[in-house]
Amino acid sequence: MDIVIALTINGLIWGLIVALIALGLSIIFGLLDIINVAHGDFFMVGTVLGLVIAGTTGFWIALVLVPLLGFCLGLVIERLVIRPAISSASLTIVITFGLSMILQEAVRATLGPQPRRMAAPVEGTIHLFGIDYDVYRLFAALFAALAIAGFFLFLSRTTLGTWIRAVRHDRETATALGIPVTLVCAFTFALGTALALLGGVIAAPITTVDFRAGIDILPVCFMAVVIGGLGNLKGTVAAAVLLAVMEGVVSAFADPTMARISSLVVMSFVLLARPHGLFAGATR
Amino acid sequence: MTDGKAKFPELSASPAPEASGLSRRSFLGHAIAGGVAAGTSYLGLTKDLYAQAGGPIYIGNHCELTGGFSSWGYWHDKAAKAAVKLVNDGGGIAGRKVELLTEDTESNPAVGSRKLRALIERGGANFVVGSVHSGVMLASIPVATELKTIYFSAGEATEATGSKGTRYSFRTGTDTYGLAAAGAPWAFANLGKTWTIISPDYAWGHSHYQEHKAVIEKLGGKVHPPIFVPLDAKDLVPYLAKIQQDTEVLFSVFFGAQSVAFYTQAKSMGLEKTMRMYSICGTMEAIAPADLQGAGEGVYLVENFPRMLKFKDDEFHKKHNEVMEIDDVDAREKTSTKVMAKSHAWQSWENVFALKEAIEKSGWKTKKDDLLVIEALEGLEMANSLGHPQGAKLLRKEDHSGIIDCYISRVIDNKFEVQKKVTREELGKAMPPRVDLSKMPA
Repeated sequence: MDIVIALTINGLIWGLIVALIALGLSIIFGLLDIINVAHGDFFMVGTVLGLVIAGTTGFWIALVLVPLLGFCLGLVIERLVIRPAISSASLTIVITFGLSMILQEAVRATLGPQPRRMAAPVEGTIHLFGIDYDVYRLFAALFAALAIAGFFLFLSRTTLGTWIRAVRHDRETATALGIPVTLVCAFTFALGTALALLGGVIAAPITTVDFRAGIDILPVCFMAVVIGGLGNLKGTVAAAVLLAVMEGVVSAFADPTMARISSLVVMSFVLLARPHGLFAGATR
Repeated sequence: MTDGKAKFPELSASPAPEASGLSRRSFLGHAIAGGVAAGTSYLGLTKDLYAQAGGPIYIGNHCELTGGFSSWGYWHDKAAKAAVKLVNDGGGIAGRKVELLTEDTESNPAVGSRKLRALIERGGANFVVGSVHSGVMLASIPVATELKTIYFSAGEATEATGSKGTRYSFRTGTDTYGLAAAGAPWAFANLGKTWTIISPDYAWGHSHYQEHKAVIEKLGGKVHPPIFVPLDAKDLVPYLAKIQQDTEVLFSVFFGAQSVAFYTQAKSMGLEKTMRMYSICGTMEAIAPADLQGAGEGVYLVENFPRMLKFKDDEFHKKHNEVMEIDDVDAREKTSTKVMAKSHAWQSWENVFALKEAIEKSGWKTKKDDLLVIEALEGLEMANSLGHPQGAKLLRKEDHSGIIDCYISRVIDNKFEVQKKVTREELGKAMPPRVDLSKMPA
């Protein structure tokens, strides 16, 4: 029983980190109708920048600086890459796929193809229901939870957040009301990018820094977005946590690969039974 | 193709028959005539290639320049190029210049087998030094066999020189069978008798599990059920939590990024305090322990070629390091931060020289003489030399496997310190051949 509880807690913690990254994907899709295939690579860039900046100035500076750099990167990409192709959904898939390859190869060419480790700022273990558990993971979950809470507060309590929600709800009416839609779109894309990079710097001491790090995280984020309901932000967070907890619990009883299969089965079931997502109809 | 002569004219787009005003009958006529012309010109090209007994010898370089294995592939490519340069500087093979034709497998079996076909059919590669990716290797051997072309692979899946081997497949390095035979008995005697094996959930990991389990159980040890991890898993805690408490030896088989994730997360859970960490060279290939920031400290692993010069301190090893532009301690490239995939990439170097020896011994002139090269390779003894800096070795006749010296090392202060050398004679005895490829038809 101890192992089930430990893996449930671990699932909750890992799920919060994934939720942070998936949230960026979801908000970009919800506002711009873009399926951003390069989103995993934004996460990867976050791990790389985290490694480089933490190596020179320390982890805590990197934690602040990397999402800010991510926001700037997002603004540039939105202006140069996304905006010219925004009218065609299929074109944005192709263009973000190209962007994904450019980001990967740029990192491979500069950092090299070999994977690296980023040391955690907090080291040590605590005994948690039968296993020695990495203390940094608790910090990582706390950072992720704070970032997610801050994001929702921003959406509900600020003018810019209200504009984002208005544009998501009805773009034409928002335009008629004088909301600078183009600016809101650029800001939203940059915000989604910043969330992915923040997820990268938080996850880097747990996983690995390498040019292909985004490839594996992207499907998990897509699953969270699909199960949570396309563009449904709170649903995305709930689905990411639910998936990670479920995988943890299932892997306590069954073959770990079966745990992964179970996630895919859940996604298939949701797509069949509730095509608009598990949390469709919930407050956005 | 990135090297060698440009042989392949770009395909030109033909206008649709309607657009060019052709009738269906004349279109068919032109198409048939075009097909016949293309066919005969291909035959002419092939004939021309194989008739030029005094022209260059084309060696295909089938390696992972991009994708998951690119940190290894970079070194295989560099080693093959360096070896070809050395051969050409020394007068070529039987007086003929060698040209290297390179194709990127993209670390993808489907792409790799297609690129191998292109290397042989379109590029005219006479021989191929091949992939280190087991999946690519196993997908490519049937293609090489179908096209009757000698293919050296460097991947570790034992099937390449076992159940899926053919007369055309060779490997100078070790496989999962060899690595288990070289290291598991020592690890059993010195590290512990109760084992847990954790590996990625694909052929390479399964093959290591089966080979190591067989050795440990034969010695009287206990092997817990394996833990197979999905290839895309980033959070390994659910898998590490399943390791049983009485485990004395945790044998891990990962590569690349997942390997770094494994060591990072195993260390963060303090596993190394309660069990011995044992592995094989692939797990830390192209990775410097220093870059793991202590997470790899204390790990035991089997190397094919000692990373530190001092454990095979001779002029050939020294010259090899010099040509590959690496330092003598960490095998790190002097012009970058890359670390050489030293336990595997030597094969791309040595395979070129093995081909040179076999071609010159057999008197090979054209493709019709390939069987003579195969016969020369079967049982070829290679002396410790600049051509074979890893050391003296035998390419065993029966299973086309390299029988080589291996080294059991431990990471101490971020360096690979050899604890025991397993000689090629010891290895040969510990892994008797299980197939006889030399009796297969060519």
